[in-house]
Amino acid sequence: MTFGMWDGVLFNLGPIPVDHLIFTEWVLIALIGIVAISATKNMQMVPRGLQNAFEAIIIFTYEFFTQLMDEEHVAKKWAPLLTSFFLFILCSNYSGLIPGAAHIEGFQPPTSNWNVTMTLAVITFFSIHIAGFSEHGAHYLHHFVSPSWAMLPLNLVEEVAHPLSLTVRLFGNIFGEEMVIAFLMFMAPFLIPSAIMGLSVLLGAIQAVVFTILSSSYIAAAAGAGH
Amino acid sequence: MGVALGAGLAVSIAGIGGGIGMGVAGGKAFEAIARQPEVGGDVRTLLFITLAFIETLTIYGLLIAFMLVGKIE
Repeated sequence: MTFGMWDGVLFNLGPIPVDHLIFTEWVLIALIGIVAISATKNMQMVPRGLQNAFEAIIIFTYEFFTQLMDEEHVAKKWAPLLTSFFLFILCSNYSGLIPGAAHIEGFQPPTSNWNVTMTLAVITFFSIHIAGFSEHGAHYLHHFVSPSWAMLPLNLVEEVAHPLSLTVRLFGNIFGEEMVIAFLMFMAPFLIPSAIMGLSVLLGAIQAVVFTILSSSYIAAAAGAGH
Repeated sequence: MGVALGAGLAVSIAGIGGGIGMGVAGGKAFEAIARQPEVGGDVRTLLFITLAFIETLTIYGLLIAFMLVGKIE
């Protein structure tokens, strides 16, 4: 169910139907991949141009996550995943800035569908528990019954609430923003929606940052001391 | 009629709560940064996390509103 959005199938890949969201995701992944590969193909000791920019991103994110997650080896381990989340969500949010993307069929940003955001949140869900088990071993299970056994149901609900809130936050923000732009395009074309689209440049970046920061703080809470 | 009213109320009441909460959190964060500018980075990160949690509740309201709008005949 896609809330009344267009969900036509572009083509079938064997038994799997490929719709416009998956196709847009592939285009974005290819775009990020090509830029990243071309930046690191001829690496030099003294970086220039694209390689320099990528090294700056890597250093900045490593320092940022180290500061946020307190423990350096945990941050080093999970920073690649979290940075990929950030880049993918940012590109995906910005793919909705193509003028009129909200109501041209097949041009919705992937993050405005909650199948996509749920997928990202489920990856975070597994990362949290993998991080917890790899840091604490079987002792990690202890935190489900802390401070006492009576808290077990509440802790389990909390574990489900984390990915659910990540899903709904990203999906609700991007979908709501797309709906507002589509509605304004219908009411007063071209001039007034451009103001909201300027705002959505900021909003798309903030949502990408928020998803990444929350994922990293959940992982840090599972991997950190205190359990 | 009732469904449309419910959709409007869902998003607006959720918006009131979220707005008050975000105002208090943001205001306190600015006070903290004004008093101690050197902790600005930490406070900003924590503020973003807090705002994201508050915003979730508003987004739940928005989600219910979208679901109800789909039911209007």
